Amino acid sequence: MSDAKISSGLSRRMFMTASVSAAAAMPLATSPTRAAQPASAKPAQPRDLSAVSMRINKQSYNLALDNRTSLLDALRDHVGLTGTKKGCDHGQCGACTVLVDGKRVLSCLSFAVMNQGREITTVEGLASAGGELHPVQQAFVDHDAFQCGYCTPGQIMSAIGCINEGRAGSEDDIREYMSGNLCRCAAYPNIVAAIVQARDEIRRA
Amino acid sequence: MNQAAPAPRENQGDPVVRIDARLKVTGQASYPADIATANVAYGALATSSIARGRVSALHLQDARAVPGVLDIVTYGDMDKTDTPKFGNTGASSIGPLHDKTIFHDGQIIALVVAETFEAAEEAAMLIRADYDDEQPSASFDSKGTSTEAAAGKNPMLKEDAKAGDFDAAWAAAAVKVDERYSTPTQHHNPIELFSTTAMWQGDQLTIHEPSQNVTGWKMELARQLKLDPANVRIISPYIGGAFGSKGPMTARTAIVAVAARRIGRPVRCVVSRMQAFGAQTYRAETRHRIRIGAGKDGRITAFGHEGWEVTSRPDPYVVGGTSATARMYNYGSVLTHVALVHADRNTPGYMRSPPETPYVYALENAMDEMAVALGMDPVEFRRVNEPVKEPIGGRPFSSRSLIKCYDQASEAFGWSKRDPEAGSMRDGDWLVGMGCATAIYPTAAAPCAARVRLTADGEVRVQCGSHEIGTGVRTVAGQMAAERLGVGMEKVSVEMGDSALPPAPVSGGSISTASVCSAVMMACDAVRAKLFAAAAGKDGPLAGSGNAKLDMADGKIVTETGKSAKLADVFKAMQVGAIEEYAEFAPKGSSPEALNKLYAGQPEFHGGESDKDSVKYAFGAEFVEVRINSRTREIRVPRIVGAFAAGRIMNTRTARSQLMGGMIWGIGQALHEATEIDRRAARYVNRDLQDYLVPVNADIKAVDVILVPEVDHEVNPAGVKGLGELGNVGTAAAVASAVYHATGKRIRDLPIRIEHLIV
Repeated sequence: MSDAKISSGLSRRMFMTASVSAAAAMPLATSPTRAAQPASAKPAQPRDLSAVSMRINKQSYNLALDNRTSLLDALRDHVGLTGTKKGCDHGQCGACTVLVDGKRVLSCLSFAVMNQGREITTVEGLASAGGELHPVQQAFVDHDAFQCGYCTPGQIMSAIGCINEGRAGSEDDIREYMSGNLCRCAAYPNIVAAIVQARDEIRRA
Repeated sequence: MNQAAPAPRENQGDPVVRIDARLKVTGQASYPADIATANVAYGALATSSIARGRVSALHLQDARAVPGVLDIVTYGDMDKTDTPKFGNTGASSIGPLHDKTIFHDGQIIALVVAETFEAAEEAAMLIRADYDDEQPSASFDSKGTSTEAAAGKNPMLKEDAKAGDFDAAWAAAAVKVDERYSTPTQHHNPIELFSTTAMWQGDQLTIHEPSQNVTGWKMELARQLKLDPANVRIISPYIGGAFGSKGPMTARTAIVAVAARRIGRPVRCVVSRMQAFGAQTYRAETRHRIRIGAGKDGRITAFGHEGWEVTSRPDPYVVGGTSATARMYNYGSVLTHVALVHADRNTPGYMRSPPETPYVYALENAMDEMAVALGMDPVEFRRVNEPVKEPIGGRPFSSRSLIKCYDQASEAFGWSKRDPEAGSMRDGDWLVGMGCATAIYPTAAAPCAARVRLTADGEVRVQCGSHEIGTGVRTVAGQMAAERLGVGMEKVSVEMGDSALPPAPVSGGSISTASVCSAVMMACDAVRAKLFAAAAGKDGPLAGSGNAKLDMADGKIVTETGKSAKLADVFKAMQVGAIEEYAEFAPKGSSPEALNKLYAGQPEFHGGESDKDSVKYAFGAEFVEVRINSRTREIRVPRIVGAFAAGRIMNTRTARSQLMGGMIWGIGQALHEATEIDRRAARYVNRDLQDYLVPVNADIKAVDVILVPEVDHEVNPAGVKGLGELGNVGTAAAVASAVYHATGKRIRDLPIRIEHLIV
């Protein structure tokens, strides 16, 4: 028996090649980058670069990105902020959680071009300029809310979102609303204790 | 003091905050795929869609046409390299690009390298293969598997343990349990994806890859690529979870290195979550038959444990947990046998407490069944069968605090409130069940080297090629140095995860704390000896004091009588700015070649059941409450209590966290984790984190860890027993026993799910 079969591993990116042209055709802010605006006569191609500008951790970035580039890969491979982690690339583990305009977002499920003009906060943007940790970061240290540390940036960003959303009222609520962030080292009880401490501190402030 | 930082009891170190905590909460800890690499090209794997057969043709033209594709490494391109070897360093003997034979689903058939990640992925998806495919054998009971005895096939199991006349004792036993149990395939699924970044400078190759064994990999990669090991460097400063999955090197590392050499650029290949199920190792599925015979007084007279394990066609990976189960209790007679079942699967590997998790699960579930058959309390049943000597070789235990663990855990849990009758406890709609089980893990150590430098300002640098996989080894190595050299932790830095550092053994088998701390202690003691000699010498600031009376504390050298000298003054007297010592630790009983083997990446393990004088184990007792909804059969675990004794505890914070994580792993093994296999195609079905279930935050409530004080000077100079793998042994049996207690249903095949409880 000999028949051609496609190699395994269905890719979201393959699926998207047909459907990103709408995103690529979005009106773009004036950009100084080398990315050309799609020529008016030629329809946008999925592999074309698009100009994207966004604010990341209170700094402005103008980027030229493949339309298929996720916000996660843009942060890691194009901006050099590798604190945000890739754990599944399918929105299933939460390691890539960042804040977009203050709300928690899985950056692997968000194309970078969809974030034109948005305000992105990553784990690198939390501590004060003087090095003082954000209350959630400090609480994670105090309660040993991690072991390997890989899911930690996503846990911390998600915890900030959870507190801001008012979903951290009880320990059961915290468990429920933090269940999109997997911790394979299983620091869960410590993560809950850390969020309780940080929530109370943020409320007092 | 919070729950995460338990107050130290006897022979327990302070709950010092992790030395890398700040780096980890600020995103500054660099995992291998984070390390900035200029001009890097991106790799993506194409993998087979059949499990057995041959690749007859590979169609690459569509992939090559994708803009940005630089190269495709495939059949023929690895011919100048040696094939991988199966063993402690290598995951499998399968060299996927050396041979067009397909041994398992998801086997690498090509690596695409492109300017961007997106282009590499797109091109990899366009590679098409023609196969001459054959009907694969997926697992147990599949047509076409081959079965052989495991003993002697792998150094992990030299012979089947036995003692006394099992057949006679079994025939004569008044009460018998004879049952079968099974555990499924499981994948480690650390949250960090597997990745390899390779870069060449002339003949020098540097690899950034999460690794639990940088020295072993350096040697193995040099062998495969026919390089001088001195020209190979493996860097893995932080590892995003490992659990055994990053212990053996896989075939990918050499393939990425070859790609980087071909294009003359660094190449980074991050393996997708889905592809990792076939590209890495996993926990083999196992089956067990347990026979326990006992007298009416509850004394066991016969113990039989037969195990069957799935492995790949070419490699004899052995789980082999009978060496621990055969030594657990005072059995009288023992008969064990382990068999390997070769199927068309990738080669399994070590996964957190590899032998003990499945084998002790079977034993402890059967122990609970026997306690029920005898009408005895399960804790009392274990107490009655507590051994003085291990039953196979008649050797004593170096220390064994199991009954203390049962006492402390059962009290904290409130075991006395349990009504022993199954199905008798209820809270509204919820059926309540309580169960317990024993945890055991062998205490081993291996040779290890370390370098320690102390400068006149009291700064300490520790260097050791071990691996921070989340255990806290970097922290406890620093604590050991801080304690021996009398400085605060803020003065200590620890470098690990680089094959250019003094070699350490593989971070597996729960040996790291014992091995690394023993080496660091030796190096510190050599620094101390130099300082003390100078301080007490005739021109030294403490002239006239004997060496034996000196110690180091608060940045000073102090005498018993309260005199002290500042470090800076002693360094001044010595006319040096820094003292640096290199130490090589080898455990008692090491062979004359032990240190050479450490440098060769093949460290000898000592301890466990392999020493002549005694057997060495850490023990624990775990108690679980389950609640099962009487209408929906939803299973919850509201609380779990574990008490563990593991010799010297270096740091109660990191120890507790590891044991807690282990217990939660155990809950996952009991209720969640299983890799499902399409038996027709021998393919993994649930290859992602949505369908491969692991415990999430909402699955876990109260987890109580009790660190039982224990002193054991016999195990190693640091007096430490490893505990990273102890916590998840026995847990699943405790859950199964609790489920039985709640419902009267004995579930013997893991994981236990709602559907098992409905009918």
